[in-house]
Amino acid sequence: MRKKGIMLIMAVVMSLLTVVLSGCGGGPKQASSGSGSGAGASSGGAAGGNKLVIYTSMKESLIGGIVEGFKKKNPGIEVDYQSAGAGKLMAKIAAERQSGKILADVIWTSEVPDFYNMKNEKILEPYTPSNIKELLNPFDDYDGTFTAARLGTLGVIINTDKIKEDPTKWSDIYTKPEYKNGFGIADPALSGTSYMSVALLQSKYGWEYFDKLHEAGARIGKGSGQVIDDTSVGELTACLGVDYITNSKIAKGAHLKLCYMTEPNALLMVPSPVAIFKGTPHLDAAKKFVDYLLSAEAQQKVADAGTVPVRTDVKQDPKHGLPKPEDALKNGIKVKYTEILPEKENTIKKFTEIIGKK
Amino acid sequence: MSAQIKQKSSFGVAQIILFLSIAILVIVVAFPVLLILFNAFWVEDHFDFANTISILKQPATYEALMNSIIIASMSTVGSTIVGTFFAWLVTRTDIPYHNFMKSMFLVPFMLPSFIGAIAWKMLLSPNAGLINKFFMENFGFDGPIFNIYSYYGISAVEIMYLFPFVFIQVCGALERMDPTLEESARISGAGLMTITRKITIPLVMPSILSGALLIMLYSMAHFGTVAVLGIERGIYNIPVLIYERIHQSGGSFDSIRLGAILATVLVISAAIIIWAQRKILSTGHYQIIGGKSFRPTQLKLRGLRIPMMLFCFAYIGFTIVLPTVIIFLVGGLSTYGLPFTPENLSLDNYKFILFDFDVTRDAIFNSVTLGFTAAVITMFAGVMISYVIVKMKVRGKGILEFLGMLPFSVPGSVIALGVILAWSGQFGINLYNTVWIILVAYIARYMAFSLKANSAALEQIHDSLVEAARACGATMWQSLKDIVLPLVKPGMLAAFFLIFLPSLRELTVSIMLYAPTTRTIGVAIYTLNEDGETVISCALAGIALIIIVLGQFVINHFSKKAGV
Repeated sequence: MRKKGIMLIMAVVMSLLTVVLSGCGGGPKQASSGSGSGAGASSGGAAGGNKLVIYTSMKESLIGGIVEGFKKKNPGIEVDYQSAGAGKLMAKIAAERQSGKILADVIWTSEVPDFYNMKNEKILEPYTPSNIKELLNPFDDYDGTFTAARLGTLGVIINTDKIKEDPTKWSDIYTKPEYKNGFGIADPALSGTSYMSVALLQSKYGWEYFDKLHEAGARIGKGSGQVIDDTSVGELTACLGVDYITNSKIAKGAHLKLCYMTEPNALLMVPSPVAIFKGTPHLDAAKKFVDYLLSAEAQQKVADAGTVPVRTDVKQDPKHGLPKPEDALKNGIKVKYTEILPEKENTIKKFTEIIGKK
Repeated sequence: MSAQIKQKSSFGVAQIILFLSIAILVIVVAFPVLLILFNAFWVEDHFDFANTISILKQPATYEALMNSIIIASMSTVGSTIVGTFFAWLVTRTDIPYHNFMKSMFLVPFMLPSFIGAIAWKMLLSPNAGLINKFFMENFGFDGPIFNIYSYYGISAVEIMYLFPFVFIQVCGALERMDPTLEESARISGAGLMTITRKITIPLVMPSILSGALLIMLYSMAHFGTVAVLGIERGIYNIPVLIYERIHQSGGSFDSIRLGAILATVLVISAAIIIWAQRKILSTGHYQIIGGKSFRPTQLKLRGLRIPMMLFCFAYIGFTIVLPTVIIFLVGGLSTYGLPFTPENLSLDNYKFILFDFDVTRDAIFNSVTLGFTAAVITMFAGVMISYVIVKMKVRGKGILEFLGMLPFSVPGSVIALGVILAWSGQFGINLYNTVWIILVAYIARYMAFSLKANSAALEQIHDSLVEAARACGATMWQSLKDIVLPLVKPGMLAAFFLIFLPSLRELTVSIMLYAPTTRTIGVAIYTLNEDGETVISCALAGIALIIIVLGQFVINHFSKKAGV
């Protein structure tokens, strides 16, 4: 009797497992993100470790299509990617370095200072892409260690049910009543783009700008996506938001609008560099991926996802309301990345102190 | 008295089992915890208490500690009142449907509180929470009626999901209480108030207090609710602070040390709580054992009967049904913020997370395999260790008894930090960023459940059974296999499910240990929510709830059959 009971339970558990397993194997095997024990075993055919691994802070809606396109172009190369916040990826890389081996071959995030850091620590493999001449380059000191693959922008995202008039000046956020107690900025400790925008705004308008935001009741949110969702639901009336995340939500029907300030040279433009790790066993594949990422085809996908590409020869859908790549480069707030680099921790601390003050 | 130790051949077996048991507990639990204590006080090459104290005095640490205490106290007091009241209502009054209600009040046990927190955020966030919006739009309220992003909000959510700890204890006490005590008081002319004050309350007090302390212990070390509801308004407790520091640091030693110090504070408070609980239980336990199966007299609610019933149903609907419905509804939206109209709702998100989205598919796979593996390993290790503790008379058992207590008193975030210290390369084995480190942590975390279930089962087996077998010439191994094992099977099964189900929704430990590839269900829900993939995270939460509830059904079904 008892034996039967155990057998039955085992059967139930096993069938539960099978369902989940078949769920895992069932779908199209796009970018199996090598789940620890699981997918590692199921990758079967490919000889272990023969996979190009990309760490990126780009969200599914952007990276998914690019990896798929790359695999179509290069059917022999297996690709695996990890999408997570820049801070978490860097923590993972730090841990991997301690254990002696970085598991990623390519990194593509929006936290520029990290790339300068890695360059100084000499863990990046310099590679000048074959199509470099066709690309816009935001880095004055470009030497091939990393190459911008996207000119991400951040704007003021407004909830169109709550705010009728588009903001045009950065000062609108603290002068206009509709932003009072309703403006959110993602936590710069969690989000690379948020940290970069805080640094950019601070360099242009000084800490007084954040003092005034604080007086107007601005709030610190969590991740870069959550502030946008909070705006969409009306918890916030507006927020500082990343272009493509907002556009993907607008495409699904969210009542949001992406607004850029019309003041000269006041655009929050955050380049997203791509780089190859030194010592990667898949150097050729990694180079091919970087080339592909910067090709017209992949940059078209970047544009279609709702953010700004680094090529001028791709079509931008007017519905996204994005600046042209050359304008994004020209109007972006200029900073010396190497100068703000050592300030990162202080910037985050100061920002949290000012905005988080009770 | 077990005869086996007198025989040479079995002496070896006994020693091996004892040695194995101690080894498992030392490696899995004691070593990581010791490392934490060591790191909390050891600076470079000497013990430095002054440094430790100066870190504790930093505003951030101090505030986290205060927050942990404030939130835990409010949750404890609230849950105790709620739990005791409902326990009294379903056991000692003539309220209708009390059996149904009793099982409904246990449902929050199954529900992960951080999913509840996400749901309550949607219902009661100050500007956009559905309930707040409803009142502001329809009744002309100027502001929110309740702001969930506050100490009160966090405690309220914790109360909703923690009160069963008290409820279950007090129900048991009230049911077991000898009714003759109350009857004799009544015969001697005491009124209802006097009986309640002088007899009933003193008798159930130990149960109330021990349930309350369990909640205190749980809440002090609880990550999910505070992380979801508190961070935005700068409310964070010890586990949240540990998590934030460890995640932002990229593994620098300063943050690990801060974590170790905070973890030490947790361990100490847990030890105090456990000690207090044992003290209370040992003084109060004998009083309530009546043994006779009299039904205690039920209080007639009369006119209050129907209103009380409605109140209970309203409470169940408000705290259990409503949040669950919201989770499923938001999980069906195409994007967060749209109204719940048929054209905005579909099953697309559910399809997406089950079949197309690697992050969630991996998370489900990881959680199920991790939970299963941890449950199987812990089940077998637990039965072996409990056997030594309960049945064997060998030298060195005292150490094992002490070690066996450890898993009960070490909070999840402490275990997580401990395994990071132990298994990220300093001692030759580097499991950091792999699933294995989560597995090790799960085993350490859930060993307590297995020990409890298995020792309960073992205590019921009289030594004479084994002795009879040995007297008939069976070897020790044979008697174990043919007598003990079949009899403890229900306990082992119970242990399996006690571990498998909670691990499916585990967050506190896995959030500290996950890498992008090794997310568990809990981590995936939490990080997707943090990343602003609100609808996807709710859809996954919905799927998780379905898996958990189905699992619970299976347990109930089989535990009835197995007679656990």
